[in-house]
Amino acid sequence: MCIRDRVGGPTKGTRFRPLSFNVAKPLFPLAGQPMIHHPILACTKIPNLQSIYLLGFYDEKEFSMYTSALSSELRIPVRYVRETKPYGSAGGLHHFRDVFLEEDPRFIFVLHCDVCCTFPLEAMLESHKVHGGVGTLLAKKVARDKANELGVLVADPETREVMHYAERPETFVSDLINCGVYVFSSALFDCLKSSASSRRGGSIRRVPSVDSFSPLRQGPSDYLQIDRDVIMPLAAKKQLFVYETPDFWEQIKTPAMSLRCSELYLEQYRRTRPEILASSSSSSPLTTSSLLNDKKGPTIVGDVFIHPSAKVHHSAKLGPNVSVAANARIGAGVRLIDCIILDEVEINENSIVTNAIVGWRGTIGKWARVQGGGNHAAKLGITILGENVTVEDEIVVVNCVVLPHKSLSQSVREEIIL
Amino acid sequence: MKALILVGGFGTRLRPLTLSVPKPLVDFANKPMILHQIEALKAVGVTEVVLAINYQPEVMQSFLKEFEIKVGIKITCSQEKEPMGTAGPLALARELLVDGSGDPFFVLNSDVISEYPLRKLYEFHQKSKGEATILVTKVEEPSKYGVVVLDEATGQVQRFVEKPQVFVGNKINAGIYLLNPEVLDRIELRPTSIEKEVFPKIAAENKLFAMVLPGFWMDVGQPKDYITGLRLYLNSLRQKAPEALATGSHVVGNVLIDSTAEVRDGCLIGPDVTVGPGCVIEEGVRLSRCTILRGVRVKKHAHISGSIIGWHSTVGQWARVENMTVLGEDVHVSDEIYSNGGVVLPHKEIKANILSPTIIM
Repeated sequence: MCIRDRVGGPTKGTRFRPLSFNVAKPLFPLAGQPMIHHPILACTKIPNLQSIYLLGFYDEKEFSMYTSALSSELRIPVRYVRETKPYGSAGGLHHFRDVFLEEDPRFIFVLHCDVCCTFPLEAMLESHKVHGGVGTLLAKKVARDKANELGVLVADPETREVMHYAERPETFVSDLINCGVYVFSSALFDCLKSSASSRRGGSIRRVPSVDSFSPLRQGPSDYLQIDRDVIMPLAAKKQLFVYETPDFWEQIKTPAMSLRCSELYLEQYRRTRPEILASSSSSSPLTTSSLLNDKKGPTIVGDVFIHPSAKVHHSAKLGPNVSVAANARIGAGVRLIDCIILDEVEINENSIVTNAIVGWRGTIGKWARVQGGGNHAAKLGITILGENVTVEDEIVVVNCVVLPHKSLSQSVREEIIL
Repeated sequence: MKALILVGGFGTRLRPLTLSVPKPLVDFANKPMILHQIEALKAVGVTEVVLAINYQPEVMQSFLKEFEIKVGIKITCSQEKEPMGTAGPLALARELLVDGSGDPFFVLNSDVISEYPLRKLYEFHQKSKGEATILVTKVEEPSKYGVVVLDEATGQVQRFVEKPQVFVGNKINAGIYLLNPEVLDRIELRPTSIEKEVFPKIAAENKLFAMVLPGFWMDVGQPKDYITGLRLYLNSLRQKAPEALATGSHVVGNVLIDSTAEVRDGCLIGPDVTVGPGCVIEEGVRLSRCTILRGVRVKKHAHISGSIIGWHSTVGQWARVENMTVLGEDVHVSDEIYSNGGVVLPHKEIKANILSPTIIM
């Protein structure tokens, strides 16, 4: 059994604007697949998987098409469970525990959809079986300055037991971060229950000072957090262990990070599913089927995904890190580098798009240039065109965010265009 | 008849192009700037041209020899040992200009590009019987220049007003003169200004006349004005010699392409573009309002506008070069690079985007 936690916080992805105007953030495509699809595919590799639950704050309707298609494709029940109020990262697990425990699962995986990593779930499960206890956490060593912006763990070097946890410590505590990917035994629910009742009783537990900045964290008894209400109480009690991954790990908070994560997933495909990536040779069924009356494919550099329904002219050059979505049309002599081209976008002759996301049904004119600086951490580090944005012939757009339905007839730089 | 061309100094305003060749040899519309003037002088019957230069680059000599033969005109240099202003060089070149014939001689500023209506100027001078005639041109903002106030009916110059704060007229000195030899008697051998010291005196004696320059006029001493001047020049060429301009479905507006340049399929070129000898413009390239100097290669799908591309440079695939970018000689812009107003000194390789106007040393 596998549970997917929190497919939408109470804020519904405002940091993901303008892309979240069109699609729930978990459904935004990375490397050609919805963001949530990557962890789901990882779940399907777990032996004896019973069901997949998507737990979130979005309206059910936004996920109904996706979950029904997925259920039939995977032959595993996929259900969306909607949180009706903010429950925190663990409150929903506690609140809907009867649903999750229906099939009497031995293990429960909990994953965050805005985490981008290799999701080594099988290995985590093996490790968990060896160590026992309530749960095993995916952890990763990162640079010291990055660690202080995340939740950090101190693990016993011998036993791998979690000895201590701190959220965004002001001083250095550890360079081992909590990746937000967990496997638990059903004892998790007992732990959540005792956390909930201890809050109901009003007992004031000492919590780190950083918790106090969030009013939600001091909310009602059914508002529970995995870090505060599971990891902290169980630390140093021989109940929690870490499984450390050497692979990539990122959080997908902003559109710029989604471009970076798309790159990471494409790289992963190169190792795990190279057949779905495009290649320069005409032997690739994905590119040959999508040509305009020509047997020759476009030039491909590095990792590129082209949806089979997209039409890419043979004189175009794509990659590295390019994803072209359904029914997009890429014209003659077009150059795409580090970009996500969404459904039904049209890119005309001799244009170049680099470090950018081009939104649904957008149009890029001839000899246009859509460019970002490529700094995924910067505010305007990549250029993002919202839905149905038109960039006219020969126009240059550098480091801009353009909201939906705009037409650009003048070159722009370092601007947010409402 | 004789003529003096005021070439002056190092042409610093046209750097980085003038780091490779002396300013008179910088190409304008596929021809060294000074050759435009020499040819116009030849056409009006001038037999000897004196270049007033305050430095003497070796490279000039061989070119001048070449022009002498090509145009069929005698070219000599008069070298200033120190900057002599705009009038001093005339005194310095006195011996070269005065031959006893009493004929007037032309004086041209080398930075100025126009239709050179020298025959009209000569006829006007003969008719007005003045000691000197200057060409004047109308400008939109006379407050930026020295304005020439003249009698509209006779052309007699009344006075000069430097950068007038109130409107006194809209005609300015165009830097093209026809002078009688006696003007030289008024000039001392020292650094001095013809506009400020010599002409006002002649005007005071009612012997200075001005003719309004027909057609365009531009001081092309700096890159921005060079590009504007190119538009005016090509527009004039459209009227006078349209057969020189390129035609075809890949051409928009006025475009001059050297016969030895190669332009491949899928390009769109113009308006106001010149492509120099031996250039290769690969497939799918877009050029507008720019000059591509000799031996340049523009690779596939590149886009160049409002810029000057120096000799033997290359612009990479999908590169974009715009907004008064000036590439010196032998500069190489890598594939997919964007230059927004980059000014690049010779022999550089550009591998990173230039997002706002910057000088690359």
